Amino acid sequence: MKITYKRYLDLWGWLFVIFALFLLTLFLLYPIFYSLYLSTFTTRGIVQTFVGFGNYLRLIKDSNFILALKNTLIILIIQVPIMLFLALILAVILNNQKIKFNGFFRTAIFLPAVTSLVAYTVLFKMMFTTDGLINRFLISLGLISKPIPWLLDPFWAKVTLIFALTWRWTGYNMIFYLAGLQNIPTEIYEAAEIDGANKSVQFFKITIPLLKPIIIFTSIMSTIGTLQLFDEPMNLAAGVVTGSSVGPGNSLLTPSVYIYNICFKYAPNFGYASAVSYILVLIVAILSFIQLRTVGERE
Amino acid sequence: MKKFSIILITLFVLVLLSIGGAQEKPKITIWAWDPNFNIPIMQEAAQRYKKINPNVDFDIVSMAKADVEQKLNTVLASGVKTNLPEIVLIEDYNAQKYLTSYPGAFADLTNHFNYKEFAPYKVQLMTVKGRVYGVPFDSGVTGWFYRRDYFKQAGLDPAKLQNITWEKFIEIGRTLKQKTGKYMISGDPFDGGLMRILLHSAGSWYFDKDGNITISNNEVLKEAVKLYKTLRDSGISKEVSGWNEWVASFNSGEVASVITGVWIIGSIKAAKDQSGKWGVLPIPRLNVPGAVNASNLGGSSWYVLQNSRYRDVAIDFLKQIYAKDVDFYQKILIERGAVGTWLPAQRGSAYTAADPFFGNQKVFTYFSTWMKKVPAINFGLYTYEADAAIMGVMPDVYNGKLTIDEALKKAEEQLKNTIGK
Repeated sequence: MKITYKRYLDLWGWLFVIFALFLLTLFLLYPIFYSLYLSTFTTRGIVQTFVGFGNYLRLIKDSNFILALKNTLIILIIQVPIMLFLALILAVILNNQKIKFNGFFRTAIFLPAVTSLVAYTVLFKMMFTTDGLINRFLISLGLISKPIPWLLDPFWAKVTLIFALTWRWTGYNMIFYLAGLQNIPTEIYEAAEIDGANKSVQFFKITIPLLKPIIIFTSIMSTIGTLQLFDEPMNLAAGVVTGSSVGPGNSLLTPSVYIYNICFKYAPNFGYASAVSYILVLIVAILSFIQLRTVGERE
Repeated sequence: MKKFSIILITLFVLVLLSIGGAQEKPKITIWAWDPNFNIPIMQEAAQRYKKINPNVDFDIVSMAKADVEQKLNTVLASGVKTNLPEIVLIEDYNAQKYLTSYPGAFADLTNHFNYKEFAPYKVQLMTVKGRVYGVPFDSGVTGWFYRRDYFKQAGLDPAKLQNITWEKFIEIGRTLKQKTGKYMISGDPFDGGLMRILLHSAGSWYFDKDGNITISNNEVLKEAVKLYKTLRDSGISKEVSGWNEWVASFNSGEVASVITGVWIIGSIKAAKDQSGKWGVLPIPRLNVPGAVNASNLGGSSWYVLQNSRYRDVAIDFLKQIYAKDVDFYQKILIERGAVGTWLPAQRGSAYTAADPFFGNQKVFTYFSTWMKKVPAINFGLYTYEADAAIMGVMPDVYNGKLTIDEALKKAEEQLKNTIGK
């Protein structure tokens, strides 16, 4: 106790951290608290009116915000499990040293994670147009007779977004699983094999339990990422002349896009946008907490 | 010590230099967004002004439109008064929003220009409480661009298609599709562009003159939504998503006509092999009282920042070129297809020239006539919010889940939520 107190007063220690601390306060703490303060105002540009909790009350009834959350939730429930499962399977397959060109496949699957978010979304938008590559391919295979309205129907627009996200992020998550798999001792598998456990039993009884911390980590990261989804819906939904709605019938509206619109596309209401951001942070915190609690270790 | 004095002298020289620099030529900074359109036009204007007043420099900054808006919003909201551009380009639908959100930020130009010389609807949208804050620039006056060859093949006589209604348009669209297999038009069923054309042509908007929401009780809007649905059900419209796919649809020859703002001419002419095959007609009109066969989509105007350093020079620049130079307007029309809204310019030669691409039709004579017919309306502050609300309910209208009345009621609720009323 005495030592820590002494350390607390150590001038040199303070000198070393003061610069970092100053930057941290200026660029992190100050904006956090200022936006909290700002969220008690409704603004239109520089015209400010104090509303107290008014913005938060308005938020509960805002059908746009609720729609944005609903869209995100659908993507979260469908896309994240598919992507993580796919990443896990790929990791287990590519972890097998007997596979030829194993390094090549690992790189190829990871590569999408290096591309720019905007670039790949624009590419997907081009591929998924009504006369695009995907439709032509499916028609020439005889799988469909009429082109699928990928970006012209609320349902298919979400499907397109889910495809795009899965393509972009599966490799990224696979790398985490691969790293985790390296840490599982091969002796465990050998022992299991001697005991007569087949591959699928090994997968479910050894691989998944031992990868649990990493699975939790990736699922929390993906949840946060999905809730902050911005570039993909923004670019997929870029419209003809006006870009009126975010995807057909606002089907690609996400909270982050909504925040952007409130600030820069609509009459600029920075106060309300701050309130939306705070609620978004709260939701992320709650979801992460639930995931940690239900899947996570007790300690 | 020697080192110290060297540093001191260097600093002194630097300070002197910077003072000298401040007394140098005034520099006008301009923010705009289209490197094929308003940027080269501004460069042309700058060249011309330098001949009148050589003692000026220009810095014309090209950014994406969203970036201009984002930057302007953040700079003005932060309240800093340094590093502001002298002149900024603002889209007409956003004018009222900026003018009322940042009172005092834009220079009051009422006494500097003779606004009677500009198209009335352009002046209206930049007027707040009787004061005018901008210099009207390009017009988005709309036309019905059509393929002469396809129309002929379908037995349609363009002379008989002057000033028709949208019902007739759909009817002939069906004929055309039957006979030629081509789509009549193309568009994104969830884009509000056509909606804006329809509303504006009938002198209506999502808001009334005082800025009150008029959605669920707006007969024009009901007709317009009905038309969106009819258009989709009729199968005469090729559905596209995104700008590129839209432009490709008529460049490839799949579509027989385009109804949009005059600024599309550049994109239509990009298909050089279609020269002589195009023509222009007045747009169809809605079957409601007060509707005309002319409308507007898009367009933008120049605004001067009140707190910018060389404000007065900037105002003089706009005055000398944009409200005086007839020849300038001819040049930008020929080179860029920019239809200015300064009316005296339209007596110039370029406006009356026949265009071989359009079968030697004097297209710009038509456009300037239609421009004067465009009703003057108040866009209000929330055009984009309203667009989003309407297009948000369109899926339910298309699949019949909601009647048009119910859908508009829902859209109005949604709009009220968005703008917090």
